[in-house]
Formats: sequence, structure tokens, C-alpha cells
Amino acid sequence: MMEGKYAIKVEKLSKRYTIGTKKADSFRQALGGIFRKKNNAKASFLAVDNLNFTINKGEVVGIIGKNGAGKSTLLKLLSQITKPTEGTIRINGRVASLLEVGTGFHPELTGRENIFLNGTILGMTRAEVSRKFDEIVAFSGVEKFIDTPVKHYSSGMYVRLAFSVAAHLEPEILIIDEVLAVGDAEFQQKCLGKMKSIAGEGRTVIFVSHNLAAVKELCQKGIVIEKGKLVFHGESSAAIQAYQSCHGSQSHYENKTVTTDKTAVKAIALCNQALQHCTEFTVNEPILIDIDLNIVSNSAEYAVFIQINDQFGSPVFAAEKQISNQKMTLEIAANFLTRGNYAISCYIHIPRLERIETLDNCCQFNVSDATSSLVIHGNYNYGPVFGNFKWH
Amino acid sequence: MSEKIIESNKRQLFPDFREVFRYKDLFFTLAWRDFRVRYAQTTIGLLWALLQPLITLLILSLVFGTFIAVKTPVPHLLFTLAGMSVWTYFSYVMTNAGSSIISSQNMIKKIYFPRIIIPFSKALVGLIDFGITLIMLIALMLYYGIAPTANVLFAPLFLLLGILAALGAGIWLSALTVRYRDFQHVVPFIVQIGLYLTPIAYPAEYATSHLPKWAATLYYLNPMAGIVQGFRWSLFGGEAPNEFLLITIITVVVLFVSSLLFFKRIEDEMADLV
Repeated sequence: MMEGKYAIKVEKLSKRYTIGTKKADSFRQALGGIFRKKNNAKASFLAVDNLNFTINKGEVVGIIGKNGAGKSTLLKLLSQITKPTEGTIRINGRVASLLEVGTGFHPELTGRENIFLNGTILGMTRAEVSRKFDEIVAFSGVEKFIDTPVKHYSSGMYVRLAFSVAAHLEPEILIIDEVLAVGDAEFQQKCLGKMKSIAGEGRTVIFVSHNLAAVKELCQKGIVIEKGKLVFHGESSAAIQAYQSCHGSQSHYENKTVTTDKTAVKAIALCNQALQHCTEFTVNEPILIDIDLNIVSNSAEYAVFIQINDQFGSPVFAAEKQISNQKMTLEIAANFLTRGNYAISCYIHIPRLERIETLDNCCQFNVSDATSSLVIHGNYNYGPVFGNFKWH
Repeated sequence: MSEKIIESNKRQLFPDFREVFRYKDLFFTLAWRDFRVRYAQTTIGLLWALLQPLITLLILSLVFGTFIAVKTPVPHLLFTLAGMSVWTYFSYVMTNAGSSIISSQNMIKKIYFPRIIIPFSKALVGLIDFGITLIMLIALMLYYGIAPTANVLFAPLFLLLGILAALGAGIWLSALTVRYRDFQHVVPFIVQIGLYLTPIAYPAEYATSHLPKWAATLYYLNPMAGIVQGFRWSLFGGEAPNEFLLITIITVVVLFVSSLLFFKRIEDEMADLV
């Protein structure tokens, strides 16, 4: 193996999709098409638009971007599922791609049979699967049911078995799509550990996710994609920042026109524990809202009212305090808000009497979750807050 | 270490057979999955596999052998069973290979492998049912006390032609259905008319002797006509493959090779179309 040689090199890569009816869907249309003049006015869009980048051997790269930014298309291109419209992809080494866990699993077949089926679909030989069989079963923890048809498995068991097969692939380049969001918290930790060890063995990993917490934890490098175009390629922490800045989240509100003769908000800033401006938080870190005020003699009559709204604009909670200081900080405790996008509104008022300042949704932030026990529910809306409860 | 290059403007004519060979384990696993699923779902799965052709066989033999009293060199039931064995294999492989890409769309959208493996694997699965019919055929030959002729050495050749014809038709259909869903409805129709337009329950002379030369040539454009006739000749002798055998061989080769060409053309866009 040549030192420093790339694992994947992408040049001028584009993928165009036509909108609406893809090709002629019925033969009659196609026959009609022979006689009619070709109607080339079909709308199309570039899902991936002129990408150029190189991924070196042994790098763990996170690809981040909003839904519909072209991540999945890029992944499909890299894993050869679909062909590029333009450009070239050069790949050095054996690739395994994992766009879902349990591809090809058949409900009627037993766990044992599905391991062989899934393993060969993922590109292993039967001999390889046999060799790793015991390891796969032990990792999944479904030893007892290995000869039961998987249709009788619980969804958790199913996913664990499926991930275990995938985890025992030994490719030089591994392409993964958000499959980490499976299983219970304990199994997730196991998966993360497995991924880290894969990365540690000097293999190249390409990881696509909009879970920034997972990207932060796993990847050294990050690629940010926006509307099919490459926006940033570099260190993963810088990539996350670049993503946030193009994501439209505002960690900061500032009003430079505030005159000194009245009570007003000069600035609001969202900070993390390290007191850095931030819009991306994980569930297990506190969120600090710093409010910088202009204070005059009668300011103490007024109160600051901060309201947190969820991504649908519904209020989650509000906090109010009489103005006491030029700088005030509201701390939202760790493990309070669940994952999602939030916005802050800030008002200065005398309750029910007078409102002198209205700042609706002046700052936004995102909370991501890779660790809580609810994360297995994926996109299910289980509410904006982790309840403060006890089981007896 | 090999470098793999994916280029937008590079198109291959034929599937990369070296790559297909690398995926041979997947080929066997897919065939084995179909076999397992077929017999796992029902306790009498094997019986189902036998029942349908068996009933068709009895009906054909009743109509052609008893009602119409078609003259055959060996007992009509045996004659028809020999024809049915190859025909059933053909129709099974053509039907299942034809729908194989559409029914594997979840896999196709999520992982790369040479897609041609999917229809190929159906040819192997079909051999299991064919083996069962072959056992029935041997049993019936023992019952009637009929020994195969020395021509039996040619049987594998006709079987090979049958496999290629079935794959050719199946691969064409599988690629066509990806583009045009209409073709799903064509398949049962082909199977139905093919059963009568192929000399299964009657000797081929019955057809050719009633047709002018050009129409007889058309008749043999159905590759199964020559294959069924030849397979039966290799077992029982009699009606020897005639000048039309060449048409059969050419048709089969053209069908199979063109199916590979067409499949390769569609393969690149399969994940986008299914």
C-alpha cells in the first residue's frame, strides 16, 4: 500500500434527476414517443452538483447537510448503486456500503440463514461468514433465537442481528448512512465502540448523518453539502461550524442602534459550557443564554421574559426575571430539552401593562442526541422535554 | 491494489463476467433463499411444486391423448411429461427471472452488486423443480418399461439450450419491466400461448405438416419448439431434430446475448427507476 494514497477521489461529480415521471413509465408512452417529437422540456435538478474532493486512506469523514442536500445521492454514487451523470469517482480498496441494516433479510428464514444471506449480499463470501459466524452471533446477543425465523424477533433483536453482520465486514473503505440510530442505548454504545475500533484499524470510514453529536464524536474530517454543492471540507469541528452558519441558525442577536436613554436589549448570545457562541448542543450539555441590556434608572420596573419555542413554533417553556443587572444569564439545564430545533423569543415588559421590546425568534439552536435512552425512537415526536420523573 | 474507476461516460456492453464470478456466493445464496422460502412457508411446499404441472399434464393428456387421440411414439402421458418437464422449467425461470428485479427493488436501492446475479439465480432454483419432474419421468419410463435411447447423450445439450432460452427471455423481461411496468402482464400471456404453440402434447410434425414452409420456420422461432422436440428425441428417439434445429440454436443464442446487452444498458439506471 502506497503511503498517503487516497482512498476516494471525486472529480466533477454530478447527478441529475428528472422531476416527475422518470422516463416513460408505460410502453405505450414509449411507443408514442417514437412518433412524436422528443419532448425534452422535462424539469430536472442536480442532486449532486460538481463535487470535487479527496478522502485519504485511514480518514474518518463525516458528510453533513440538511435533508435533501444531496447526502444520500452522494452516498449512492460512492457505493455504486447509481451512476453519475457527470464526472469520475476513483476508489482504492474494497468498499462496503451500509445504507440500511439488514438488506435482504427474509422474515421466513432463521437468524442463522439470514446472517449468511445478508453477509453475502454485503459482499462477504460464505467462507468468510462461516469464519465470523460465532463472533457475529455473540455480538448480537440473540444466541438463543438463532434458529428461529426472524419474523418472530422483536424489532430490537432484528436490528441487533442485522447490525452485527454489518459490523463484521472487513472492507478497506466503509460507507455508512445513519445506521447508528438503531437499537437501545447500550447497543448504540456498542456500535459506536465498534465503529471507533474500525476507524482505529486504519480503515477509511465515510459516515453520513445529520446527527452532529455523532459526527463530532467519530470523525476527524467533515464535508458539508448544501444543495448538492460542497460548502466545506476540513476538520470536523470546523465543518460543524460551517454547517451551522449555512444552516441559518443564529447564535447571536445584536442591536447596535440602542440609545443609552432607555431600557433595551443590546445583545443576546447562546453559549456552551466553555462560554463559546454556539448553536449546536448535545442533550447532555447545558445551554446558556446571555442577555446584555442597556440599563437606565427605571429599568428595575421591567422584567425580561424569555420564551423557548420548538421547531413548530409552539412554546416549550418561558422564564421571567425582574431586571437586576446589565448582564443576565439564563441556563437551561443539561438533559432537559430533547433533540430538535428551537428558537428563542425575548420580551422586555411590565407584566400586563407595557411591553417595550419584542424580539421574536431572535436566536435559534439545535439540540442533537446520540446518547439518551429515547434516541432509539428515531424521528418520532416524543415531545420537546425529557420529563422530570421517577418510576416506583 | 486495484483502483476502481467509475466514470459517467464509460459504458460497457456486456456485464463484467469477472465481477459476476466474484459474486458467485451471492448467486448460490439467492438461489438457496428462494428454495428455502418456497418450501419453508408451507408444510406441503414440495407438493405444491408438483401439483400444478401434474394437473396440467393430466388435462393435456386427457384432451390430446384420449379425446383427440394424437399419435405418439411412446405412451401419450410419458410423451407429454417429457415435454412438460422442459417447458415447466422454461416458464418458471422466465416468469421468476422476469419479475426478479422489481421484486428485489429494496436490495437494489440499498446495495451494489452485479444485478444480473438476480435473474441468473432463478435458473438454478428452477433446476430443483426440474429434477423432481425428471424423477417422475424416470419412474414413468420404468413403469412403461421404456429405456432411453443412446441419443440421451444429447439431453444435456438440449437442457443447456433450455436454460439459455429461459434466461434470455427472463433477463429481457426483467429489464423491460424496470422501464415499462406493462410487461408484468405480458408474462402469463406468453406462458399460456406457449403451452399450446410448443409441441408438448403433440409431435411437432402435427404443426409443421399443416403449415407452409415459411410458417413452419416461424413456428420454430419459438425456441422451445426445437428444444422440447430435441429433448424428447434424446430420450425416446423417433421424430429427429430436423433442419429447424439450426433456427432454434440461432434464436437461443441471439435471445441470450441480446438479453445481456439490453440488461447492461438498463442496469446503470435500475436503482433510479425501480
